[in-house]
Amino acid sequence: MSGALDGVRVLDLSWGIAGSMGVLLLAEQGADVVKVEPPGGDPFRDYSGHAVWNRSRRSVTIDLKRPEGLEAFLRLADDADVVVETFRPGVTDRLGIGFEALHARNPRLVYASCPAYPDGHRLADHPGYDALVQASSGQQWEQPGWRLGPIFLALPLPSVAAMFLVPTGILAALVAREDTGRGQHVRTSLLQGVLLYTTQIWNHVEHATADFHEVMSKSHPPGVHQEFLFEVESGDWVHTCIMSGLTPIRSQDDLIGLEGDPSDNERFAMLSEEERNQFTPRRRVAYKERDGDTLVEEFRANNHAVEPVISMEDALGGSAKPHPQLVANDMVATVEDPVLGTTTQIGVPIHLLGTPGAIQGPRPRAGQHNDEILGGLGYTPEQIAVITGADRAAVRA
Amino acid sequence: MNALEGVTLIDFGQYLAGPFGPMVIGDLGANVIKVEPITGDGMRMVNKPFFGCQRGKRDIALDLKTERGHDVALELLKRADIVHHNMTAGVAKKLRIAYEDCLAVNADVVYCNTWAYGLEGPLARFGGLDPLFQAAAGIEYDAGPVQEGNPPLYLRFGMTDTANAMLSVVGCLAALYHQRTTGEGQELWTSLLDGAAVLEADALLVDGKPVERPHLDKGQHGIDACYRLYQTSDGGYIQIAAVKPAHWVALCDAIGLPDLAGDTRFATAAARRTNRAELESILEPAFATRTGVTWSRRFDDAGVPSQVPTDTHDGELMLFDADNERLGLVAEYDHPLMGHMRQYGTLIDFSETPGHIAGPPPMVGQHTREILGWLDYSDAEIEELRGENVVYWPDDAYPWSV
Repeated sequence: MSGALDGVRVLDLSWGIAGSMGVLLLAEQGADVVKVEPPGGDPFRDYSGHAVWNRSRRSVTIDLKRPEGLEAFLRLADDADVVVETFRPGVTDRLGIGFEALHARNPRLVYASCPAYPDGHRLADHPGYDALVQASSGQQWEQPGWRLGPIFLALPLPSVAAMFLVPTGILAALVAREDTGRGQHVRTSLLQGVLLYTTQIWNHVEHATADFHEVMSKSHPPGVHQEFLFEVESGDWVHTCIMSGLTPIRSQDDLIGLEGDPSDNERFAMLSEEERNQFTPRRRVAYKERDGDTLVEEFRANNHAVEPVISMEDALGGSAKPHPQLVANDMVATVEDPVLGTTTQIGVPIHLLGTPGAIQGPRPRAGQHNDEILGGLGYTPEQIAVITGADRAAVRA
Repeated sequence: MNALEGVTLIDFGQYLAGPFGPMVIGDLGANVIKVEPITGDGMRMVNKPFFGCQRGKRDIALDLKTERGHDVALELLKRADIVHHNMTAGVAKKLRIAYEDCLAVNADVVYCNTWAYGLEGPLARFGGLDPLFQAAAGIEYDAGPVQEGNPPLYLRFGMTDTANAMLSVVGCLAALYHQRTTGEGQELWTSLLDGAAVLEADALLVDGKPVERPHLDKGQHGIDACYRLYQTSDGGYIQIAAVKPAHWVALCDAIGLPDLAGDTRFATAAARRTNRAELESILEPAFATRTGVTWSRRFDDAGVPSQVPTDTHDGELMLFDADNERLGLVAEYDHPLMGHMRQYGTLIDFSETPGHIAGPPPMVGQHTREILGWLDYSDAEIEELRGENVVYWPDDAYPWSV
């Protein structure tokens, strides 16, 4: 194992997407991650994505509500560089594993928290499921759909934004620690994740011009980029693009047989809404007559960027060949999951050329490394049974 | 002290996926210099997205294609800890600011390129915008949802740009940490395509076959009978998240259908998934009998997680929300042309090294003179560069709206 984060030891107390995926990005650049699960395991283990979110780490089960479990966790934290948790504000303090308690014992510790709402927010004590944050933050109202009103976002945007903020904060604190010698408390939240993805559309300015407000504003039916989605003969869809960074050979309209009309999409985008509304239906008819594969091939040969609309499963190769560029990027990976068997998952998305990252192993079973990790602290098998709650499970059985 | 105080980042990016990452790194306290063409960043014509990825930077407008402009660029590269851009294939090489060019003047630099598709491969020569990657990685497919017969739906948050940028932030900081601990810099890259794929990381195949994931219904309400929006009597909606067994029992009780909790068709989460349509046909009319706020108050008392969706009016209510203001989630500053402005504020809080939002998005070349002075150019040389159109700073004829 040789990565940029070699030697960085992380204790991962998180459940769900934001914490686990955030930790994944660190683990696959070399950080040594131990997932700490309650007896019985992380309650998200049944979710389809769990096998991906939680790979590249070891697992230990600890009953934090028992003094023996608490002591074992504290000993692990004494030796850690980073602790990550995603409970509601105040929960870790009540368990005796809050920032203050751990930092007092290990001043170099970076302690990262990612609840749904920041400590002190009026909703901080409310349940923090992703969709509730979508709703409370206005994100559902901001997305136009096929009907009026709020639209449920199948992509859990607050979580898949916060998953980037967690490792960003941790790494910034690790860099700062090189100067100060001290760790600190790094906090973000799903709500701050919402803000991350609205930066392009939410601004308030005193002297706003019409341009400022209208471009990229919400519209119904969905506008702007939606206009460049076209159905082809098979009933599948393609998304064309107004720019590719390359000089086009034949224009897009020429390629679909609409010669004499606006010569390219960049020019089309400059037309008035009225002009576009007259023109778009003609394009839709022309695309509908074309074979999708041939069209994509011709577009690309003429230096136009275009993508068929597919599911992520198909991008991984679920029904035909995987997306060729994902393959080229080493983003289609085979992982032997201990529960599911042979899986195809995304690869490592950050490409460091000097210290290449790598998948460090499949998702562990809950407590798979109990003996190795707790035994390494000198605990006997009897003590380990108490720490992990295995003694109680045995009694129940 | 800020977390990244003393770190200098030179940002040659334009549009979104390039500039966004440097802005986030700037918020953490780094000194970020935006190197902008004297013709302006191509994104300035679309004001909101431009504003969304440029705050806190100082800006030098520079013609990199001129010999003297290239000399200035080399002076900047010498002082860089991180170099960052989203140029398409071959452009950095042509401008002589590729990684190899940087190494000649700065041996331990961290150098990052955020691509559209990737470094090498069948589509690497293409640039492209966010919608392509929402299409390629299943985002538009899931949002339609296409499997229910709807057209694909573009999500207007432009997240694949942001995802690409944030992968580059994590990558740059990991490389910077490695550089601080070993003395070795390196080159790295990320892409819009990979950023999009990471957003859809819960997709996987077993033995080459797709694993079923909960998906959106045709009406775009949600992904489970107990995790979705329901329409209420006021014409509005309520989002429920009855995820745990106790939530389900409490929901049945609170909505006035206590017998439902004992119904074997819906007894477990798996059964509720199997009989989703049937359950929804029972719950929909029940929800339609009261207002969203009435339900939400009742659910709060009963312990059913719920939320009435807020219309924030293009986000402006979020920027004037008292909690957000108090918690630092709103940033305010004055822009020379736009006047007083508000944006989202702190995305990450640090107990010992707080973030630092240095100011509004810069005008084209707003800090050209100051930066050239920092590079040890004399006043006479600076005027000369301006006279030769190698550099630019704003004057009375400033042609951009921001």
